[in-house]
Amino acid sequence: MTHDLAPQLFNGLVLGAFYGIVAIGLSLIMNLTGTINMAHGSFMTLAGYLAYTMVQRGMSFWVALIVAPLIVVIVGVLVERGLVRPLYKREPFYSLLMTFGLSLMAEEAFRLIWGPNGVPFSPPPALAGAAALGFMSFPTFRIFIAGVLIVAIVALALFLTRTRFGLRLRAAVQDTEMIAALGTNTQVLYAVNFGLGILLAGIAGVLAAGMLGLSPTSGNALLMPAFVTVIIGGMGSLFGSIVGGLLIGMAISLTTLFIPAASEVAMYILMAIVLLVRPRGLFGEEGIFG
Amino acid sequence: MKARAELIAGIVVVAILAAGPYLSPLIHVDLSIVSEVLVTALAVMSVNLLLGYTGLPAFGNAAYFGLGAYGAALSAKYLHVDFIGAVIIGTASALLGGLILAPFLLRRRGIYFGLLSIAFGQVFYFVAYRFTDVTGGEDGMNFPRPLVLGHYAINETTFFYVALAAFVGCLIAFRTVVRSPFGRTLVAIRQNEARVRYLGLNTDRFIFVALLISATLAGLGGALFGLLINFAYPLELDWHQSGFFVLMMILGGAGTVWGSLVGSFIYVIGKDIISTQTSYWQLYLGGLFVACVLAFPRGILGTLLARLNARPAAADSEPHG
Amino acid sequence: MDSAMMLEARGVSKFFGGVKAVDEVSIGVREGSIHAVIGPNGAGKTTFFNTLSGFYFPDSGRVTYRGSEITRLANWKRIVLGMGRTFQTPSVFAELTVRENVMLGVRARAGVAFRLRPPAGEERETLEHRVDELLGFVNLGRSKERLVAELSHGGQRLCEIAMSLSTEPSLVLLDEPMAGLAETETDRIITVIRDLRQRLGLTVLFVEHNMRVVLSLAERITVLDRGKVLAEGTPSEIAANEIVRDAYLGKEALDHV
Repeated sequence: MTHDLAPQLFNGLVLGAFYGIVAIGLSLIMNLTGTINMAHGSFMTLAGYLAYTMVQRGMSFWVALIVAPLIVVIVGVLVERGLVRPLYKREPFYSLLMTFGLSLMAEEAFRLIWGPNGVPFSPPPALAGAAALGFMSFPTFRIFIAGVLIVAIVALALFLTRTRFGLRLRAAVQDTEMIAALGTNTQVLYAVNFGLGILLAGIAGVLAAGMLGLSPTSGNALLMPAFVTVIIGGMGSLFGSIVGGLLIGMAISLTTLFIPAASEVAMYILMAIVLLVRPRGLFGEEGIFG
Repeated sequence: MKARAELIAGIVVVAILAAGPYLSPLIHVDLSIVSEVLVTALAVMSVNLLLGYTGLPAFGNAAYFGLGAYGAALSAKYLHVDFIGAVIIGTASALLGGLILAPFLLRRRGIYFGLLSIAFGQVFYFVAYRFTDVTGGEDGMNFPRPLVLGHYAINETTFFYVALAAFVGCLIAFRTVVRSPFGRTLVAIRQNEARVRYLGLNTDRFIFVALLISATLAGLGGALFGLLINFAYPLELDWHQSGFFVLMMILGGAGTVWGSLVGSFIYVIGKDIISTQTSYWQLYLGGLFVACVLAFPRGILGTLLARLNARPAAADSEPHG
Repeated sequence: MDSAMMLEARGVSKFFGGVKAVDEVSIGVREGSIHAVIGPNGAGKTTFFNTLSGFYFPDSGRVTYRGSEITRLANWKRIVLGMGRTFQTPSVFAELTVRENVMLGVRARAGVAFRLRPPAGEERETLEHRVDELLGFVNLGRSKERLVAELSHGGQRLCEIAMSLSTEPSLVLLDEPMAGLAETETDRIITVIRDLRQRLGLTVLFVEHNMRVVLSLAERITVLDRGKVLAEGTPSEIAANEIVRDAYLGKEALDHV
């Protein structure tokens, strides 16, 4: 069994990077506006289906990988402006219910348009097959995914720490009113922030479609691990989301290897242990109810 | 005055419900659907206590509901307990679940509480889903409805009256709780928890008890639901189901005593009617969420009562509704 | 340790991210005194206050109340010990009436907040009487049945003070009690704060911006600047202190006196 260990660990890392990137998107939206975006998985699924349709119509995978997430971002920003923004002033569970309702509708819509069962969406020939890494061989597409996710995370980190807009965004998370007082257009800030979260979901959605399959509920399957990732990493910490995601990915792939029956429950056990030791998650901040 | 009006309205509602077995054929609704309304209302009440009164986004109460259903199902099937035993074991399972989760949930507030509720609730879903040998896994588990004291069978009409009695009993208990000093303090926690702590009260203790009451109520609802349909299935435990309970609570009116029944009634009957007409029930349901949040954030009863009093019911010193 | 000290802080520090908001601050509040903490905006007054009242805990240093350590004691337990506090923006239950607001505290103090049965008979009368007494003290008796949201800013502040008194504290911490008030309302609050000591025998520690208020009320003043103690002394000492004048009071503030 140990000869499976290395690829399985690598698998866990790729899976964990997915969770991490979805969790970062959720976190961005949650931190700025207090919205738990239950439709996050739907945006992923939508990106996957759009990419699938583009490839079906003869477009290249590479174009689809870029264009599909961008279309989803437009949809996301429209949803934010039209349906979610009016709820920011209310208690946060209203926006949760709103996005929950949207995800139910989206799921049914996917079923109507693309059929109730999954559709095959395979990576392009250039990324098919396996690459020998010396001590093990591993599917090329997964190596590619790992590369894209790393680039996306680094790009995001640079955006948030090196650009004016990114710095304002981070400041706004601390104190929305102060940013408004400084004259930053908070409306634009909200839209860009939401769009950014959705962009990450869109990219992850296309890649996940190729790796984990594509069906009306496939995006939602990543939602719960992403929630657990946010909890383990600590709310408000993007770095925490990455660490949390990788930990969960490893936990899941290792339990799949050794105790398959416990694979789904593994991350919850991990979550419980982390919370017992650190009630605010690994990188969470102190609050008044500590 | 208000108390009397509520008493009269309450008696009228219960009287109409009690005539259910005679009325339901007239409106072409199966009596078991009305029973479902009543037991579902208990789960909605459990959400109402946490979210409507205490302000905690209880998005994991399906876990307790499902624990109630599975507790009843497993004890009836494997332990061969009678009807009453199944109800008690189901409810107790949910209370136990609440005791296990409460220490985790207690630590956080606001959306983080919601996030933790969703995540921890999901554990039970996967347990039910995975232990196929015992629970039937994804397909769920059938079990015969046990007899009372091993002797008396319970038909649909009798069951309806059992459900009605449970509902009325819980409603009175719920009303007592939310109007008590304890309940008033929960409402104060919703409005300004820091202030309550600076009155020298350990709010964690209040929230702990509220969580346990909530889990017990949801568990009783779940146990009766399981015994109603003689079936337990993992989706009862799923976070979607938790979201439906929250929707029903908002539909009826957050922070109102009778809102749970109104919300449960609209949802259960609406689902029964619409899902026989179309196979796109979920599309309508999603639309209902969106419409409710945008147009009816205070729910039907909440809006009505606000019109009558120009004061929010849950904030009132002498709550009504 | 001085037995007459009600509240003492020794070397208290609090960081936010990399910023040291409160830097090694020490203070001693004598029993029965009215003590003020002043300083320019961003001096760390409120942060310091929050570490004293347990809103959050200091990163280093010690806080003692009547000689026993409370540095990391849960905030609600401090109230049980005999501390009370108000917030900068009046922290009240806006959707409840004035009576209900104060009743919450009265019930908490009487130990009946956890009950399922509303107090009745004699017990109820005792509680109601206590509410009337507190509202009489802050002169809000006439607004008893009004919603707090309908009160003026000053009225809400008085309601909050009554609520803080409902737990029968020996020491009250008032965070900028005059913030956002009109001149006439300020005088009302000054009277109430004086009465806190004279009529109820309480110790008062308050954070304030308004120099006129501080110099007319306080017996002892601690000046904070950029998280550190700049000076401490009687009002006349502080008014005469060159460093304080330069750092904070210099310009308009003292001209008003």
